[in-house]
Amino acid sequence: MSIIAIENLEKSYHDSEIEVRALNGINLNFEEGEFTAIVGPSGSGKTTLLNMIGGLDKPDRGTILIGGNDITRLSSRKLIDFRLRNIGFVFQSYNLIPVLTAMENVEFIMHLQKIPRADREKRAMELLESVGLGDRIHSRPSKLSGGQQQRVAVARALASRPAFILADEPTANLDSQSTRNLLGIMERLNHEEQVTFIFSTHDQRVVEKAHRIIVLEDGKVVTDRENIPAIEP
Amino acid sequence: MIWSVAWKNIWRNRMRSLVVVMAIALGLLGGIFSSAVLKGTSDQRVREAVSRETSHLQLHNPKYIEDQEVIYFIGTGYKPIAAVLDTIRSVEAWSPRVKFIAMAGSANAGIGVMVNGIDPELERQVTEIHSLICDTCGGWFKGGRGVPVVVGQALVKKLKVRLNSKIILTFQDMQGNLTGGAFRICGIYRTSNSVFDEMNVFVGRSEICTLLGADSLLCHEIAVRMKDPAETARVQNLLQSTFPDLKVQNWKEIDPILGMLNDFMDLWLYLFMGIILLALGFGIVNTMLMAILERTRELGMLAAIGMNKFRLFLMIMLESVFLSLTGGIIGIILATGLTLYTRHTGINLGSFAEGFEKIGYNPVLYPSLDPYFFINLTILVIFTGILASLYPARQALRLRPADAVRNE
Repeated sequence: MSIIAIENLEKSYHDSEIEVRALNGINLNFEEGEFTAIVGPSGSGKTTLLNMIGGLDKPDRGTILIGGNDITRLSSRKLIDFRLRNIGFVFQSYNLIPVLTAMENVEFIMHLQKIPRADREKRAMELLESVGLGDRIHSRPSKLSGGQQQRVAVARALASRPAFILADEPTANLDSQSTRNLLGIMERLNHEEQVTFIFSTHDQRVVEKAHRIIVLEDGKVVTDRENIPAIEP
Repeated sequence: MIWSVAWKNIWRNRMRSLVVVMAIALGLLGGIFSSAVLKGTSDQRVREAVSRETSHLQLHNPKYIEDQEVIYFIGTGYKPIAAVLDTIRSVEAWSPRVKFIAMAGSANAGIGVMVNGIDPELERQVTEIHSLICDTCGGWFKGGRGVPVVVGQALVKKLKVRLNSKIILTFQDMQGNLTGGAFRICGIYRTSNSVFDEMNVFVGRSEICTLLGADSLLCHEIAVRMKDPAETARVQNLLQSTFPDLKVQNWKEIDPILGMLNDFMDLWLYLFMGIILLALGFGIVNTMLMAILERTRELGMLAAIGMNKFRLFLMIMLESVFLSLTGGIIGIILATGLTLYTRHTGINLGSFAEGFEKIGYNPVLYPSLDPYFFINLTILVIFTGILASLYPARQALRLRPADAVRNE
């Protein structure tokens, strides 16, 4: 059964008097455990699609069923709670809270879920160890490299035990080594713990690792194919 | 955790927050200390007026209040009233007075005065005029030749007389005939109210009754001093119901300006502090708006990952409250220290003494503040923080997470 089912999704933006069709009748299904890349040129609708799936924006038409709930019909209040419990986010610019340590950043989302302190500390520790930052738990984001910050962001996204993780250009600000490290961690989590990743990217190295590649152009799906990931030499 | 994040957030831009905190602290220091000086001055004036001029309660023939004629005395004499006053526990002392307007004259000058015919021993338990006679200024109805009179220093200057000088008091007797007598100045008092000192002379009640041609129980006024001033209203009601033919007044009614000063002062202090806090509030709003603008992406991220609007609002409100409370506490501590210090040493405005005394104020000011004022002020500071957070929080809540997370 699909964890995400999208039907006839349409979204337009009005820039002055010009109407821009960001999404134009998208139909997609995502299964549990997928490792999917959404690619396409700038303005093709990748970010808009991720925003729609993440409940950060509402479509003009169409439905998005996540775990049987049509999130396009949820009130703003219910949608925030839905995001908290079902969706993990990894942003291009990491977006960690600078005044908190790596550990506290991961814990914060669990605090929002009202998880007891001892449990959230234990899970935050495990997650940071799983992304290779067990020795940097007390470091603030300013003391971490870009790659390390993005790994904290992945740990944070996993902390709430979401149904899937949406990553918008997660490697856009990373160097090659950090990109390789991050991809390795995401692949391992996907393979070993069946974490579902859906990410938009321009980065060919990331695309090559995806199991499924969806190509968007002018707000439409032009290609949706399986991919056999490249093996690291 | 949101409390801890909010606290840490205010120290992100340390210098900016410190500037706001210091502005609040100094604003409050100035405001509180000014309030303490005003309150201290007002309290001092009220305290001195009650203990020297009005006492807590006074009983009169109602007609005497309208027209201070010698014929409007308390019809029953003071004995029946004194008997009731002696049974009331919260009454500390009482003093019957024969009181009328007269002309005081010396060889050099003449001036209208209020003659207070008193029983010296009873009067000294009600007012503290007796204690305001300096060592070289005689004493409270002590020894000497002739009929003693205690006068104020301002009157002595006006009449150009001195201790042991003779003055003549001229007035109407009970039959409306002009009469008078010679009195020897046995004591010169000085309060902080030069107008009172110039106006009031104290003579023995029995001597003045003889000159008036009146019964020795004659009295126009009975002044009552309370053990517990908080009981004043209750005792006033009790006396009024017991003696319906008399008019029982408390010190606020006797001296309405003094009463208004006392009542208005508290309101004024809160108004004064409110204006200062309002001005400081705008500074906080500005700081919070800058903080929100700088953190657009982060706030978008928080909304995206599932921080609801209430928590987002709470976080911003707490930041604003912490900012104002930090400045507030520093300001309150500094102001308390300064108030306590100057309360101990006094602020001597001796160079303005004459002006102060003309309006009844002591030129040495002793700042004071009610502890409740600090509690209420802390609540006001928190309220200012909450108020100052509303607009910035509204701006933050209006952010669209999809746009905010990509904000550069």
